[in-house]
Amino acid sequence: MNKLLEIKNLHASIGGKEILKGVNLVINEGEVHAIMGPNGAGKSTLSAVLTGNPAYEVTEGEVYLRGENLLAMEPEVRARAGVFLSFQYPVEIPGVSMTNFMRTAINEKRAYEGKEPLSARDFLALMREKKRMLELPDKLNNRSVNEGFSGGEKKKNEIFQMAMLEPCVAILDETDSGLDIDALRIVAEGVNKLKTPQNASIVITHYQRLLDYIVPDFVHVLADGKIVKTGDKTLALELEEKGYEGIA
Amino acid sequence: MKVLHKGDIFEHVFVNEPEVNLHIMQEAGSKVKIHVINIPKDLKGSNDPKDFRNSITIEQLGEGCETEIYALAFLHGEEKVTTETHVTHAVGGGTSNQLIKFVLDDNSRGHFVGELKINPNAQQTEAHQTNRNLLLSDSAEMRTQPQLEIYADDVKATHGASTGQLDESALFYMQQRGISKQKARQLLVGAFMKDVLNTISDETLREQLLNAVDGVVE
Repeated sequence: MNKLLEIKNLHASIGGKEILKGVNLVINEGEVHAIMGPNGAGKSTLSAVLTGNPAYEVTEGEVYLRGENLLAMEPEVRARAGVFLSFQYPVEIPGVSMTNFMRTAINEKRAYEGKEPLSARDFLALMREKKRMLELPDKLNNRSVNEGFSGGEKKKNEIFQMAMLEPCVAILDETDSGLDIDALRIVAEGVNKLKTPQNASIVITHYQRLLDYIVPDFVHVLADGKIVKTGDKTLALELEEKGYEGIA
Repeated sequence: MKVLHKGDIFEHVFVNEPEVNLHIMQEAGSKVKIHVINIPKDLKGSNDPKDFRNSITIEQLGEGCETEIYALAFLHGEEKVTTETHVTHAVGGGTSNQLIKFVLDDNSRGHFVGELKINPNAQQTEAHQTNRNLLLSDSAEMRTQPQLEIYADDVKATHGASTGQLDESALFYMQQRGISKQKARQLLVGAFMKDVLNTISDETLREQLLNAVDGVVE
């Protein structure tokens, strides 16, 4: 089994306050990892640090993506190398159409891989195919990125972008929050369809609910900046029953 | 001074003129649509002006006039643009709509004076003035002076002015999708300017300016 992502003793802070206090995690190809934990445990900080959000400072530790130093890469290079974040709060970008945004992203990634840009025709065909998968409307192309989207549409749009970019490590940060049961099913089915033996996902969630649809191989409990417990999918059920207090 | 007679339409796009000085008196039912575009970096000559002055005075003297004023300045280096609008609704039933945007990089300076007057007998006037500015460097400076004098009570008048920087969260969101920071800036700055350019009726000129904008953002 090939190692995709390796996190070693990761410490990170924001505004001088230490949030991550030594996270260790290895993610192999084909695996789904769930990270659960109480509010303020550092779940979103972990996703921000892995994707290079400039608001956070890594104070100690290392992260490798397929053996390469991830922390030395610019955020856009991490993305092109295959790290994708489904944002908890997707950002609205007025005036930038989904087509323009997505086409720029795809072609920057292709350039990084030494490939020719996609033709307009192939690009639009790809958009159409992936939109159908997420049950997104045709008119999506001309709308500004996330502007005026409902909560459910925003989350579907995140997974749509994931489908377009085909990352090797997808981090889903509270993708289930704010979703009704139909949207949750569509989003989860989308994620499951994108699963291959070569990629992996990290599912950050508060609740067991999402894990009924996206079944994890491992469940980690993050508390006070560290992984305090790791188990299989039954750990999530146990958490739901006993709460974090009862586990950690 | 220019007089628009009943039902006349005046439409013009001023591009990179060192000085625009326009005074229009509108008679009943006439229409004015003006664009003032200052993107000096798009000019090719070496003796380009660095200091631009725009002054637009509109007097609605007849009922049911329409006035649209759009101004866009995108400045670099030591460039400077002053745009003044003086719009007077002397009689009622007219509309005026102003959208003024500045994008300021390096040490450039922007100055907007927006005088809007609605006289006591200009009832049922609808007047909007919006000024939005984007600062791309810490040393760029914007001054905004809206001057609203509204003497009629049955009117719809709105006014807004804001100056800000590029949205860091939007930049990061785009970088997270593999878009370089530079390209992300281009997309955001372009989006900020495009709503002004998209109101230009002449399609050829509109496309030309949209392309120029893409070429100028660094």
